Amino acid sequence: MGPAGQRGRSRPGTHRLRFGAVALIALIAALFVAACGSSNSGSSSSTPSPSSATSTPAASSQPGKGKPSVTLGTKDFTEEFILGQLYKQALQHAGYTVNYKENIGATEVIDKALTSGKINAYPEYTGESAVTVAGVNKTVKSPQEEYNIAKAFYAKRGETMSQMTPFFDVDAIAVKKAFAQKNGLKTLSDLKKLKSFTLGARPEFANREQGAAGMKKDYGLNNFTFKSLALGIQYQALDSGKVDSADVFTTDPQLASGKYTVLKDPKNIFGFQNIALVINTKKLQALGGDQFMAIINKINSLLTTPAVISMNKAVAIDKQSAAAVAKSFLQANHLI
Amino acid sequence: MIGSATTFAAGGPVIPNFGKGDPCVVRNGQFCAHWFFQNFSSRFLPRVVEHIELTAIAVSVGTVIAVTAAIVAYRHRWLETPFSLFSAFLYTIPSLAFFEIMVQITGINRFTAEIALVSYTLLILFRNTLTGLQGVPRPSIEAANAMGLTDRQRLFRVELPLALPAIMAGIRIATVTIISLTTVAAFIGVGGLGEPIFNAIQTGFKTQFLAAGILAILLALIADLLLVIAQRALSPWTRARRT
Amino acid sequence: MSAFLIATSDSFAHAFTFFGNNTHLMWEKTLAHLKIAFASCGVAFILAVPLGVWLGHLHKGSFFAINVSNIGRALPSLAVISIGIAIFGIGFTNVLVALVILAGPVMLTNAYVAVDQVDRNAVQAAYAMGMKPWQVLLRVEVPLALPLIFAGIRTATVYVVATATLATFAGGGGLGDIIVNEASYGVAGVVAASLTITALAFATDAVLALIQRFVTPVPMRARLGGRRTQQVRAATETI
Repeated sequence: MGPAGQRGRSRPGTHRLRFGAVALIALIAALFVAACGSSNSGSSSSTPSPSSATSTPAASSQPGKGKPSVTLGTKDFTEEFILGQLYKQALQHAGYTVNYKENIGATEVIDKALTSGKINAYPEYTGESAVTVAGVNKTVKSPQEEYNIAKAFYAKRGETMSQMTPFFDVDAIAVKKAFAQKNGLKTLSDLKKLKSFTLGARPEFANREQGAAGMKKDYGLNNFTFKSLALGIQYQALDSGKVDSADVFTTDPQLASGKYTVLKDPKNIFGFQNIALVINTKKLQALGGDQFMAIINKINSLLTTPAVISMNKAVAIDKQSAAAVAKSFLQANHLI
Repeated sequence: MIGSATTFAAGGPVIPNFGKGDPCVVRNGQFCAHWFFQNFSSRFLPRVVEHIELTAIAVSVGTVIAVTAAIVAYRHRWLETPFSLFSAFLYTIPSLAFFEIMVQITGINRFTAEIALVSYTLLILFRNTLTGLQGVPRPSIEAANAMGLTDRQRLFRVELPLALPAIMAGIRIATVTIISLTTVAAFIGVGGLGEPIFNAIQTGFKTQFLAAGILAILLALIADLLLVIAQRALSPWTRARRT
Repeated sequence: MSAFLIATSDSFAHAFTFFGNNTHLMWEKTLAHLKIAFASCGVAFILAVPLGVWLGHLHKGSFFAINVSNIGRALPSLAVISIGIAIFGIGFTNVLVALVILAGPVMLTNAYVAVDQVDRNAVQAAYAMGMKPWQVLLRVEVPLALPLIFAGIRTATVYVVATATLATFAGGGGLGDIIVNEASYGVAGVVAASLTITALAFATDAVLALIQRFVTPVPMRARLGGRRTQQVRAATETI
C-alpha cells in the first residue's frame, strides 16, 4: 500500500494515460471478439456445414452422425480442389465431420502426410500411386491394370482405395499450335527432330518416370532443357514464349481453346490416371466402412471426362470457386 | 460450350450449367472489378478475418512471452544474452522453411503456424522492452524507492509505464512483420490473405493477385496507423509540448 | 519433445549430406539468389540514396523522407510480389521491382536523416570558407553522413537477401525454389537451403559491417554511439 497521500488523488495526466490504456485494451478486445465470434470459414473448417436448403436428409441417411471426424486433404491444383470439395460437401451432407486441408502439395508430400497421420484420406491418381508412390514402374495396358497395382500396394500399407472414376487425367506435353505445325510435331517422338527445346513443368516432373525422366529414357529425348515452373503458370509460360513446350494435364480446360497441340504418347509413359480416394483402413472402419465408401463411390461413378472438364473450366477459366462449382454439381445430381 | 443441362445415358451425370464466364475474367483482364465485388464477401473477407486472427494471436502471445522474459532479464542480467541469441536465431530462419519444418513436427494446423509466427515476434519485443526498462531514468527509480514502493509496485507503476513507448514501438514493428509473414503462412494451408495469392498461382488470375495483394497491404498500413495512434495516446509525455 | 529433438538432429544431419550430393544444384541456386538480391539492392541504391542525400542537403521533404521507410517496412513482401505478378507477369523483372520497393525506403530514409543531421557547424564553416553548395555536399556532408547512409544500405541488403526466398513464387529462381519443393528435395533439402540463406544473410551483414567500419572516420566511431544508444534510438522511434 502506498503512502496515504497518494491514494485517491488523481495525478495530472493520468486520465490521458488511462484513456489510452482503455483504447488499447478495447482494440485488443475487439480483435479477440472478432476472432472468437467469427464463424469458421476457409480451408481448415472443422465444423460440419448445415444441411443445404434444397433437401432435408432423413435420419437414416445420416450415416456420419456419431462417427469420428475425418481429415481430408488435397493436392495443389484445381482439379484436386474440385474433387476435394465434392467429397467434403457430400460427406458433410451425410452427417460426417470433415476436417478439410486443401492445397497440401504434390504426391510425394501428401503421401507423407497420409502415412504420418496428418491426414486420413485424399484423392489420388492410380498411375501416381503405382509409379510414384509404390515405385512399380511397369508400362500397363489398361486403367484396370494400373488400379490393381495401386490397390494391392495400398492394402499392404494399411490403406484402402475407393472405386475409380471413369475419367482419367494424364500428364501430356503441349506446344503452341503454330510451333507444332512449323516443326511437324504430332507425337512425343517427333520432338527428337528439334535441335533443342525447352520443357517447362512443375519441379517434381523432372525426376519422374511418368515425367521428364521417362521422356529421356523411353523416347530417347536428350535435347531439351528443363525449366521449373510453379504449377499453374505453364500456359502463361507457353503463351509468352518462355518455354517451347510445357507439361499439362489432359483435362485442363485451356486445351479446349485450340491454341495448343497436345503431343501423343504412343508408348504410354504417362500411364493411366483415374481418380480414387485413398483412405487409411483403420480410419475407414471407424467411419462405418461400406457406408462411407458408398458415398465416395457414388460420386466417382458420376465423374466422366465431360463432367470434369466442365467443372475445371468453371473454376480455372471462369474463376468460380471450387466450393460453389462442386455444390452445383452435387445438387444437380441429387447428392446434396 | 456448356449450354443447358446435359443428361447422359443411364447412370451418367447431370452436368449443370455453370453459366457463362464474365468476359473480363475469361480474358484475364488487369482487374475485373465486378468479379471482385461479387466474390469479396465469400472469398476475400473470410481471409481478412483469418489474417487478423492469426496476427492478433501471434502478437499477443509473443508480447506476453517477450515482456515477461524482458522483466526477468531486467532483474537477472544473465538472461539477456541467451534469450537475445535464441530469439535472434529464430528470427533468421527463413519463414517458408520454418513453416514447412514445423508441419513435420506439429502437423497441418494453426498451432503450427502460430509457433513460427510467435517466434518471429520475440526478438524485437524482447529487445525493445528490455531497452525501454533499462532506459528508465535513475531519478524516477530513486523517487519511487523514496516513496516506499516495493520492487513490484515500482515495476508496475513506474518502470513499465515509462518503458511503454519502447514496448509499443516494438508491438508496432512486430505486428507489421507478422502481417507480412502470415501471408506466407498460407503456404501450409492455414488461410489468411496469402491463400488467394497461392491459389492465383494455379490459374494466373490477375485480379486475384491484385486484390489479395492490395488487401494485405491495406491491412498492414491500417494496423501500423492504429498502433501509431495508440502509441502516442499511451505516451503523451514523449511528444514535444509548448507549455 | 523427444520427437522434436530427433526430427531436428535428423534433418540437420541429412541436410549436410544433401549439400554433398547436390553441390551443383546448391551452387546454381545460391548464385541465382545472390544475383537477384544484389541486383535489387543496386537498383534501390541508385534510386534511393541520391534522392535521400539531396533532400537531406536541402533540408526539405522530411515528412516524406522519414515516413517512406515506415511504409516500406510495413509492406508485406509477398503482397508486393503478388501485385507484381499481376502487372509484370512472372520472371526476373517482377521480383526485381518488388525487392526494390522493399529495399529503397530504408536506404532513402537513412540517407536523408544522415545528411540532414550533419553537424550544422561544420556545414556553416564550409560555406563560410566560400564553398559552393555542391562542394559542401560532396566534401563535407556526404563524408560525415557516410556511416549512417551505409547503415541503411546494410539493413536493406540483409533484408533483401532474406526476402529473395520468395522470388520463387514469381518464377525468379533462387534458393526459394528448393524450399517450396519438398516433394523433390525432401526435408533435407529444405533445411539445407534454409541454412544457406541464413548463412548468406549473416555473411552479407558481416561484410557490409566491415565496409561500414572502414568507411566511418575514426573519430566518429565512438561518437555515433555504442549498442545501447542505437538500441534506444531504434526502440523509441515514433514517427
